[in-house]
Amino acid sequence: MKLDVSFLLDVFPLLLSALPTTLLITAVSVSVGFVIGVVIASIRIYRVPYLYPIAVSYVTFIRGTPMLTHLFLIYFGLPLLVDGLASFAGLSFRAASIPLIWFAFISFSIMAGAYMSEVVRSGLLAVNRGQTEAAYAIGMNTWQALRRIVFPQAFATSLPILSNSVIGMLHGSTLAFTVSVVDINAKAQIVATTNWKFFEAYIAAAIIFWGLTIAIERITGHIEKRINRYNRGGVA
Amino acid sequence: MIKLTGITKSFGRNQVLKGIDLHVNKGEVVVILGPSGSGKTTLLRCINYLERPSDGQIVIGDSIVDCKRAGKQDILQLRRKSAMVFQQYNLFKHKTALENVMEGLVIVQKRPKEEARERSVQVLEKVGLGSKLDAYPSELSGGQQQRVGIARALALEPEVILFDEPTSALDPELVGEVLEVIRKIAKEGITMIVVTHEMGFARDVSNHVVFMDGGVIVEEGTPQEIFSSPKEERTKQFLKRITPEWSYTI
Repeated sequence: MKLDVSFLLDVFPLLLSALPTTLLITAVSVSVGFVIGVVIASIRIYRVPYLYPIAVSYVTFIRGTPMLTHLFLIYFGLPLLVDGLASFAGLSFRAASIPLIWFAFISFSIMAGAYMSEVVRSGLLAVNRGQTEAAYAIGMNTWQALRRIVFPQAFATSLPILSNSVIGMLHGSTLAFTVSVVDINAKAQIVATTNWKFFEAYIAAAIIFWGLTIAIERITGHIEKRINRYNRGGVA
Repeated sequence: MIKLTGITKSFGRNQVLKGIDLHVNKGEVVVILGPSGSGKTTLLRCINYLERPSDGQIVIGDSIVDCKRAGKQDILQLRRKSAMVFQQYNLFKHKTALENVMEGLVIVQKRPKEEARERSVQVLEKVGLGSKLDAYPSELSGGQQQRVGIARALALEPEVILFDEPTSALDPELVGEVLEVIRKIAKEGITMIVVTHEMGFARDVSNHVVFMDGGVIVEEGTPQEIFSSPKEERTKQFLKRITPEWSYTI
């Protein structure tokens, strides 16, 4: 077998047409997941009554089951729920009209939320208790102390691990092909079925993913440098 | 004016404060002395509710808070009428010196940014850090950090500033510059309650000295009374151990 380099080069533009899908899935899941993560982590740290056990079960269930299983649970379960609710409410809306990519958005966001909640929680725990006390001592309420003092420091601490989550999500987004969403990886498979040059197609896909990952590393590295400006003197 | 009545505090079964009554007049500098574990820091932290007292009453200015029934608003009131200087400085480490001082003015007191900045610069200049406005805490020495901490408290114009062993974490060489600043603002008539081990400072600067041991106030009085003619045996014992012979004055 010989590597067909010219095919390899021709494949790139074809695969890049699926780039927006991959980026969209990643961006949506990471953003929604981050918001969920902050909420869940805060609930767990402040041991909010009633919500605390729910938050804990959510994290253990999601982390205890594979990403692909979530996707199928949402893909097969959500339509039943939506149709049930719609007919109960007398609406004509049917689950069949939900775009397939939404199933990926929903299940990946739920998953990213569980994992990111632990990242955020570690960041929050790393903030010195004295910082909160100082915030209270100047008269801030709990929300002001969190927003102004604790969250910014926690974010700076968790950034390196957050970039890990983003990269994980980027690569995890390839699973969306199982619910017929065409991302970069799925596109490679489709392109290759015409001439069976799967190896070349997947090499191209791998290179694109690598490039994207390097970009993410660069971007977070840059943000890290800016955010951590205050640490330049060493330990404080 | 600050008035504490019957303050008690227990951690589990361990009763740390056993009914403290303390009265501080406006403009007074009160120093609390005592061996470690005597409850002096806990008492200080009860005044602004960093520790929740088990029982008693706290009055700062026109806020009267019954500790058994204190709600969120009561606690916020106490905290907004007081300010604290911490042993470990606790400067907001992601903010510059200027931002540290401005934070309370802008976020808590809702003052316009420009006014807050002007006031903050002025206070930082007063503590001798006019040239360090844009430095982060990690770029400052311990003494400088603590002076920012004092500026942060001072800028808020609270009814009382609580000092929790403000020089205990400092290099001996840097203690002087911080004490100098505290001395300076004490002279301006700001009400202060200071927990410290600096006897010289206590003697020179305070109007009133409180000696605590085992969760109660053993003795209180003017510095003259406490340092030169203590009445209680426990006070004498403590002063003897903590004050080197050569610094006795007649």
